[in-house]
Amino acid sequence: MIKFNGVNKWFGKLHVLRDIDLHVTSGEVVVVCGPSGSGKSTLIRCINRLEKFQKGELFVDGTPLHDHSTNLTKLRAEIGFVFQQFHLYPHMTALQNVTLAPINVRKMKRADAEKLGREKLARVGLADKADAHPTQLSGGQQQRVAIARGLAMSPKIMLFDEPTSALDPEMIGEVLDVMVKLASEGMTMCVVTHEMGFARQVAHRVIFMDEGSLVESGNPHDFFANPKTDRAAQFISKILTH
Amino acid sequence: MMLFYFQRLVEIFPFFLKGLWMTAAVSGISLIMATIIGLLLGIARASENKLLVRLIGAYVAVIRGTPFVVQIFIIFFILPEWGIQLEAFPAALLSLTILGTAFICEIVAGGIKAVPRGQWEAASSSGLNLYQQLRYVIVPQSLQTILPPLVGQYVLLIKDSSVVSVIGVMDLTRVGWVTVNRIPEGLMVFSLVGLLYFAISYPLIRLSNRLEKKMATQQVML
Repeated sequence: MIKFNGVNKWFGKLHVLRDIDLHVTSGEVVVVCGPSGSGKSTLIRCINRLEKFQKGELFVDGTPLHDHSTNLTKLRAEIGFVFQQFHLYPHMTALQNVTLAPINVRKMKRADAEKLGREKLARVGLADKADAHPTQLSGGQQQRVAIARGLAMSPKIMLFDEPTSALDPEMIGEVLDVMVKLASEGMTMCVVTHEMGFARQVAHRVIFMDEGSLVESGNPHDFFANPKTDRAAQFISKILTH
Repeated sequence: MMLFYFQRLVEIFPFFLKGLWMTAAVSGISLIMATIIGLLLGIARASENKLLVRLIGAYVAVIRGTPFVVQIFIIFFILPEWGIQLEAFPAALLSLTILGTAFICEIVAGGIKAVPRGQWEAASSSGLNLYQQLRYVIVPQSLQTILPPLVGQYVLLIKDSSVVSVIGVMDLTRVGWVTVNRIPEGLMVFSLVGLLYFAISYPLIRLSNRLEKKMATQQVML
């Protein structure tokens, strides 16, 4: 589904992704972790080409992203992206946030899109918030609307960039619950997160990144119990003790 | 004598209304055109296309850095040298549009740049094309920043339109000049001219202030 072949990226002189090789299969849930500045957000932002990269190949659902003639708009419609800061459209209601792309990209009729939108909002537990504006919602609710907005496009892949990092602690659970459910339904997911409970519970694979390199990759049990590298071991001890 | 002139002024008041109408037509039409072109150029100026950004920047600098009366003379007197004949009215429309576009495109670019980057990322991530991103996500949010100064700019442009009188357009200001030749009470005549300009400008000034207040409260809500 997603295949990185020797991907390299520089921000000016800073080498932020180094020779990334990664293969994510359909239905797989991959958690990406690592210290801040390790390139994990950049990595998943490459998957829908929010970030360009200079070297290497990346195929998403068979589409070559290193090819500059690729139709990004079409590709992005098939990939849901959930941001750390939600980025809901503040001038629209929750329902309008969710239906905007189905109406304009999928060319659905408004009534059908609204039916779909209400379904998706119900799925994230916010059926009663359809007419609320983002400012009237808590952080956890906003992030769940953002997830519903991604799901409304029936994406093949969902990407999550630190979806709970901007939330108050008491709201993290409600967002993770939605993500756990999504994972159990077989969605292909790449999740940048420090929520190791989530990683243990649903990830098929944990990837550890440091200084732009993919340092370690393994199933969550092995990764947490017996990290192969010192850097991973250090990282795990830090996040588990804090 | 004053009274006599005042009565004469009342008699020829319809002439002033014609001038007012001409001022409204010249500025109204050019404002509409300048708003449309300014919106497009402003979006381009806020883009990442360096060539476009520089070209528009150069245009804005030239227009802002030269007096409007010089611009209008150039258009009115130089274009015929190149074989382009323009009547006074279209020449006035053209020069006012060029002037207005320069200011409006800066206002629009400022408004677009004020929308957080995450909004572009969210919109493009959900598969909206560039036009849809602008139409549904970016422009509606930037209107908050754009509208108050835009209406303020309209007031400035309506007042700047008085310069078109120098190329013979019979606008409100030119009506004043013509009238003074017959009624030598300059103060009286130009007070009337000023009053009529004020009659158009003042409602717009009020509107601009109200928009500013309204947008400020919306901003707080966001």
